[in-house]
Amino acid sequence: MVRICGWIIGLLALLAPICVSAQPARPHSILVLDQSDLRGPFHYQLWSGLRGVLDARAGVRVTIYGENLDLPRFGGAAYTESLKRHLKEKYRDRPIDVIVAIGRGMLEHTLSWRAELWPDTPVVFAMLDESDLAKLERQTEVTGVILDNSLARAIKAARAVVPDLDTVALVGDAWERQALFSHWSEEIPVATSGLNVIDIIGQKMSDIRKRVAELPERSAIIYTGVFSDGEGTFYPAATAFGLIAETANRPIVVGAEPLLAMGGIGGYVLLATEIGTEAAKIALRILNGERAGDIPPVSGGVKPLFSWPQMQRWNVSESSLPEGSEIRFRDQTFLERYRWQSMAVVAALLLQAGLITFLLHERHLRRDAEVESRNRMSELAHVNRNATAGELSSSIAHELNQPLGSILTNAETAELILKSENPDLKEVREILADIKRDDQRAGEVIRRLRAFLKRTPFETREIDLNEIMNEAFKFLSVQASGRNVALYLQTAPGELRINGDPIQLQQVILNLVVNSMDAMSTIPYGRTVIGRTELNGGSAVEISISDSGPGIPSDKLSQVFDPFFTTKDQGMGIGLSIARSIILAHKGNIWAENQTGGGATFHFTLPLAA
Amino acid sequence: MRLPGHVHVVDDDASFRTAIERRLKLAGYQVATYPSAQQLLDSLPDDSEPGCILLDVHIPGLSGPELQGRLNELGLTLPIVFLTGHADTPTTVRTIKAGAEDFLTKPVESEQLLGAIERALARHATVRDERSRLGEVRALAAELTPRERQVFGLVVRGKLNKQIAHDLGTTERTIKAHRHQVMEKMKTRSLAELVTLAERLGMLD
Repeated sequence: MVRICGWIIGLLALLAPICVSAQPARPHSILVLDQSDLRGPFHYQLWSGLRGVLDARAGVRVTIYGENLDLPRFGGAAYTESLKRHLKEKYRDRPIDVIVAIGRGMLEHTLSWRAELWPDTPVVFAMLDESDLAKLERQTEVTGVILDNSLARAIKAARAVVPDLDTVALVGDAWERQALFSHWSEEIPVATSGLNVIDIIGQKMSDIRKRVAELPERSAIIYTGVFSDGEGTFYPAATAFGLIAETANRPIVVGAEPLLAMGGIGGYVLLATEIGTEAAKIALRILNGERAGDIPPVSGGVKPLFSWPQMQRWNVSESSLPEGSEIRFRDQTFLERYRWQSMAVVAALLLQAGLITFLLHERHLRRDAEVESRNRMSELAHVNRNATAGELSSSIAHELNQPLGSILTNAETAELILKSENPDLKEVREILADIKRDDQRAGEVIRRLRAFLKRTPFETREIDLNEIMNEAFKFLSVQASGRNVALYLQTAPGELRINGDPIQLQQVILNLVVNSMDAMSTIPYGRTVIGRTELNGGSAVEISISDSGPGIPSDKLSQVFDPFFTTKDQGMGIGLSIARSIILAHKGNIWAENQTGGGATFHFTLPLAA
Repeated sequence: MRLPGHVHVVDDDASFRTAIERRLKLAGYQVATYPSAQQLLDSLPDDSEPGCILLDVHIPGLSGPELQGRLNELGLTLPIVFLTGHADTPTTVRTIKAGAEDFLTKPVESEQLLGAIERALARHATVRDERSRLGEVRALAAELTPRERQVFGLVVRGKLNKQIAHDLGTTERTIKAHRHQVMEKMKTRSLAELVTLAERLGMLD
């Protein structure tokens, strides 16, 4: 009877893919039997791994039933018998396609119940140690995920964490109560050879906390699992571990991923999500029609994982960890945390820096060009001054001959006095003083002339424009009377302080006046040049030079300052253009206009010194 | 021995005025200095005394050549020696044409300067002498009667007594008497002398 049923179910199983494709609406059911308590994070991760795979399977609806039987805390034949009855009643009308059994204890129970409750239903186990698998009675339609979960690897992890390890402390509930690590008890002699072993297995919580606080140097704790305080209080796994980690004075090697966050340093830990995922994949293959017996058990779900904060605490270097180790909770650096933002900021900064560099370069070039142009202007101005000095040689001669005349006359007088019989030495002394003074005067003329003719860079200082104007006009007076030109100067009262290059500004005035005198050379009489200085508002000075010449043709008014523009037969056309360059370099303006009564007027303005 | 005289120095350069004053005083001249042309015009010097003007060309206000023009208009006979820091040809020509005694350039050696001043003073002396002699002649001529003046005018034009008598409608004897009177009054002894005086009086123009 059972055999016939088995065949029928086997046939059904074979036909399952066909049925699925023919009737996609028919739901599949998976029953997940978990030996653990459902409240811990471990359980949650396992479930999410399972669900992740099953839900991703489009087109087939899978119903997942779950049972948490809490075997570590409850046991005994009566309990398991009642569980069997309970499950039998509960799932009487719910056909189960695949059973997923999590934990060795669970698998054992499942297999013993299968014949009665779910005959021939394939079983997928998870969290089963390889050695446990070997011990299981060979049964059909059983496969699953095998954990390579050995004490030897826990010791390997401990050695990685404490390089000069000589002692391990084993902490956990009594081995027979352990769901995952019970087989370690048999591995102890081999795995711990050469090490001292401190056995803290199956102790009361208070004792455990005390003992882990006084472990020797060069030791590590190997934690399996504590679920009760040994005095009747049961804990969720994480809570118990937290209590122990709180007092431990040595690093704790753990076997479950969630404990890393609670103070475990790491080790070969079970990855619940991965175990769930692998188990679900196998279950799906079975739902898709494969026979469980044809699917060999797969290994997985264990990985060397370590906690960065604990590594820091115990001064463990990354290089000493086993190959393939993953480090969790590593402090993210600022750059890791704000990667894109940082890159954007850096890019912006680089762009900005580039732009600034470019602009600075441009500014530098512009500066150079300005300096160059100013130098050129100064050179041209120098050439122009030389030419002007040639034109004004009569003025220069006059300025110089004046003191020289006095000196010669005085010297001859003194000579005569000294030749006389009774020389008046007092007068000779006076004469000598006069000679000295006149000599200095002549020297001053030469000095001024040299300054005027010297090639000097553009250099401004605070000066009185009235004084500059007075000097220039005095200097021009000889020239003017020689050319029969009446020269008048009207200056604004007081001083007109401006920042300027005195030589170059004098040059502007000389150029404008000489230009005016040249313009009047064709008129027979009434040649007049009037210079004027006046305040223009509160911030500028205006200087004007007017003549009584024929004026400037109105269509040429804007051109007179252009280089090489001239109306004179022998003009070079640089005097006025230099005047403009100089005034512009002084941040001033220059323009020309015709007077209504005839004659031209040249104006320029300069900003007053602050 | 130099001629005594009064030198009027017009120059805006105080230092030069002092130097030239010293030198000229040492040479024995009387010196008056003026910092501007206007000041000389304000206290116009007496040209009846021997003197000359030493004048700078470039002086503020009224210039040297302009002062020269004004003095010519006023009929002042003081000769002018120009002295300038820079001599340009147009100005030199203009002033010489207008009667300047000399045109010197600073710096000037005393020799040259004193020479020019001496020549100027000499010329002034001549001018003054001429002027005083003319005054004397005019005074003599004023003593002549109208008839004698008529005879004087005709005699110096070379007319014979007979022709004059015919012209004036009188006798040759009367003319001879008038002619004698003229010679007497004009203090001349020969016809040639009389002609010279007539020329000076401007009777032959």
